[in-house]
Amino acid sequence: MQVRTWRGWWAATLLACAQVQAAGLETRAPVPAPALQAVDLQGTPRTLDDYRGRVVLLNFWAAWCPPCRREMPSMERLRQKMQGRPLEIVAVDSAEPIEDVKAFLATMTLGFPILLDPEGVNTRRWKVYALPTTFLLDGEGRIRYVLKGGAEWDEGEALQAIEGLLSEIDKPASRVSGGT
Amino acid sequence: MAMNFLALMWALMLWTGSARASLPDYQTFPGDGPRLLLWVNAERGRAEPELEAARKLAAQGTTVWSLDLVGAYFLPQLPSSMDAVPVQDMVDWLDAALTAGKPATVYAVSRAAVPVLRAASRLEAPRRHRLCVLLMYPNLYASAEALADADYLDVGRLDGLRIRVLQPRRSAATPWLPAQLDHLSGLGATVSHAILENLREGYWARETPTEFEIAESRRMDALLLRELETWGCK
Repeated sequence: MQVRTWRGWWAATLLACAQVQAAGLETRAPVPAPALQAVDLQGTPRTLDDYRGRVVLLNFWAAWCPPCRREMPSMERLRQKMQGRPLEIVAVDSAEPIEDVKAFLATMTLGFPILLDPEGVNTRRWKVYALPTTFLLDGEGRIRYVLKGGAEWDEGEALQAIEGLLSEIDKPASRVSGGT
Repeated sequence: MAMNFLALMWALMLWTGSARASLPDYQTFPGDGPRLLLWVNAERGRAEPELEAARKLAAQGTTVWSLDLVGAYFLPQLPSSMDAVPVQDMVDWLDAALTAGKPATVYAVSRAAVPVLRAASRLEAPRRHRLCVLLMYPNLYASAEALADADYLDVGRLDGLRIRVLQPRRSAATPWLPAQLDHLSGLGATVSHAILENLREGYWARETPTEFEIAESRRMDALLLRELETWGCK
């Protein structure tokens, strides 16, 4: 009976995640993004400056986190769909050993950069308390949307938000004011 | 007639008063050894591996009082339900444990840490100093939104309380553990912690547990016994 109760709780959690997919993208007044100082799988240091002038989907995730793993294929589909357009998808692994990250990546082919944050320094700097958490940054490096929980990134509201940010790059005159 | 009504009202007041001060409904697993463990389940309720661990602990001599707050108070399985637990009931429960004649350690999981700490805060100082509290991935946040500092729930002062936090490594809360320990220290508690490697929060009741999590679920009694022997109140 108690086991069933716990299963019900997990089911409710998954349902809540599904609801987030539909309506969880939170619009933020444009603010400059915190610094990002991470390394990629080859050990090369990376910062947000590497993606300047592009819309950035910055995803904090971990290999142990089921909703993180579940949304990864949609991020890869988004990357393929958006090839040639100024969108960068960056996945920051939060506070895990590189061995765990590599073991996960062996199960899934992903074409976007994976950055490492083994001590959780960036996780704390961006004040990420739940995984996955994703930030959408505009072409000027400002945070415009936040999503706590998973999403299907290549469709629906999420895709609309990304297209909106890309259109601002395509048409600089229509850029949203605010921030610095 | 008026006298009967007054008598009825008086009886009702007495009943209400005693109900307010009553102990929560809990299960006892008697052990013949010198320790008492007060096990407070998470907001998700009591899971079978937890019951099994309580039985094993009792068989090894540790008396366990197992309290499922959502079951005891008919609450929804939500973190916020823990904030609705009558604190005085918890104070009375802790008081009852401290007078039971065995050194008492409370073990609270996730958001259940909140009513436990609130009750510990209300204990008289000498009694609070005798209590030990083990917190498994405590959730003490009032709010925790991305890009903003977290707000902690008010649990009161914890001067002299000994707290040990057990934190599964595979948790979004792990990077925030130092901040949480600082917060508890700032409330006056004496704090230590242990990281539980290769485990996730609620590993004993995951939908898709790893082999290691399944094995550790079966060894939960050993984990708690180790903590009681090396750290808990003696």
